[in-house]
Amino acid sequence: MNILNIDNLTVEVAGKTILKDFNLEIKSGEIHAIMGPNGTGKSTLTKVIMGDPNYKIIKGTISYNGKAINDIPVNERAKAGIFLGMQMPLAIEGVTNADFLRSALRAKEGDKFKLLPFIREVDKYTEKLHMDSDMILRGINDGFSGGERKKNEILQMNILKPDVVLLDEIDSGLDVDSLKLVGESVMDYYNERKPAILLVTHYQRLLDYIKPDFIHIMKDGKIVLSGDSELALKIEKQGYDKLVGMDNE
Amino acid sequence: MNKITVYNDEIKIENSGNIEISVGEASKFFNVQSVKVKVLEDTDIVIDVSKVDIKLDFYINVLKGVKANIYEYKHDGEYKFQYKYYLEEDSYLNIEKINDGRDIKEMTVINLNGERAKVDSNLKTISKNQEKYNFLVYHNAKDTISNIVNNGVNILDGVLEFNVSGFVSNGITGCDINQKGRIINMTENNCIIKPNLFIDEEDVMANHSALIGTFSSDEIFYLMSRGISKKASENLLTKGFLLKGITYYKETLEEIINKYWR
Repeated sequence: MNILNIDNLTVEVAGKTILKDFNLEIKSGEIHAIMGPNGTGKSTLTKVIMGDPNYKIIKGTISYNGKAINDIPVNERAKAGIFLGMQMPLAIEGVTNADFLRSALRAKEGDKFKLLPFIREVDKYTEKLHMDSDMILRGINDGFSGGERKKNEILQMNILKPDVVLLDEIDSGLDVDSLKLVGESVMDYYNERKPAILLVTHYQRLLDYIKPDFIHIMKDGKIVLSGDSELALKIEKQGYDKLVGMDNE
Repeated sequence: MNKITVYNDEIKIENSGNIEISVGEASKFFNVQSVKVKVLEDTDIVIDVSKVDIKLDFYINVLKGVKANIYEYKHDGEYKFQYKYYLEEDSYLNIEKINDGRDIKEMTVINLNGERAKVDSNLKTISKNQEKYNFLVYHNAKDTISNIVNNGVNILDGVLEFNVSGFVSNGITGCDINQKGRIINMTENNCIIKPNLFIDEEDVMANHSALIGTFSSDEIFYLMSRGISKKASENLLTKGFLLKGITYYKETLEEIINKYWR
């Protein structure tokens, strides 16, 4: 059982407070969805858990399995089993997906890394995600559409097999078919490994495929309302303004 | 395949027959040697330079309609080299150069003398001390093309400078001039790129770019978020940055990068 705990977390970026006394606990086998209008701190939450140095923790603790990780470098968090599927994955020209993924898996597995199983896994998941088989030899996300970039994040998740999966608007930029494919791939991964999942989304449509146990609405940098999947339907019908008293930007 | 190996003050030549080559003393007083090459047919020339304690001048003439590739690797030494290239009508010259020396000063003069002559030049260096590269590219004939790409990663005590000047006189129409310079500076030392275009003709396409900076923190974060250490992330980004455009000495360059970002 892995537990990610966020306790009383206040976070600043460029002198502006984004998260305020934020609290949340996520355990293996749980799926939490964070919803809310733009600018309430949803993406900040995922980035600060991953350790993005652009975000400054003013107070509070992020702990993983009882150990504070506030000061642990990004790569050590990843090696401990935390994965962030990004909202806007970067394109990095010249660094191939193959070199990138091989380096990542080698960092995680050390001497246990084996090339042949790695190649088989990549082939398996590129096919499953309907990605071009030659994408592995291209630069990271170089020339990829928005949808392809999101699929690449899910591919990386499947290869690296994290225990805590943070998905920041993984549904944005996806067409209907790709959304179904990505949603089902996340659920397949969930059913296979039972990770803790925290997903950030604006729309109910992703939740047609990924079934959260908990839905939280954020306002002014903290969770103001939590519920089950019914809450997402209420948001879709009523909007955030009626539910938690705020303007939907 | 032809090969010129320069080691200490010795110059060895392997000539496959499609070049004419002569080695001589350019200046006894200044201890300058010269290598003169005439490229007669399409061919590749490999130049391997190490531990040289002489100054060297290269004169390379690519004849009409001939295509030549020059692959050069300079390592383990302090170098003051001068290169002069002469390209005749419809000739093509591709230069791929990787440097891993200590102090390096180079002057490269490219003369595009014949119509439709084209040069692609890719220089990659990891600068640890003083390195200065001057390029003068003369478009002396119509419809000539030059693509000059200089990429360097500046580390340790490195101070790196790229100066590139392109020249087009009035009446030399239809030329295409491209200069791209980028330095990843991983020190507090000053690095310089001076891209100059001296053009006295309206019918010309010209582009230049110059960028000095570090790797983007977002790129580093993205790679590290997959478990890759900062050092290994820099290794990957350096490879991505420097290996582009390098073919013959690609593995050598990878080994050099691994040496500094182990």
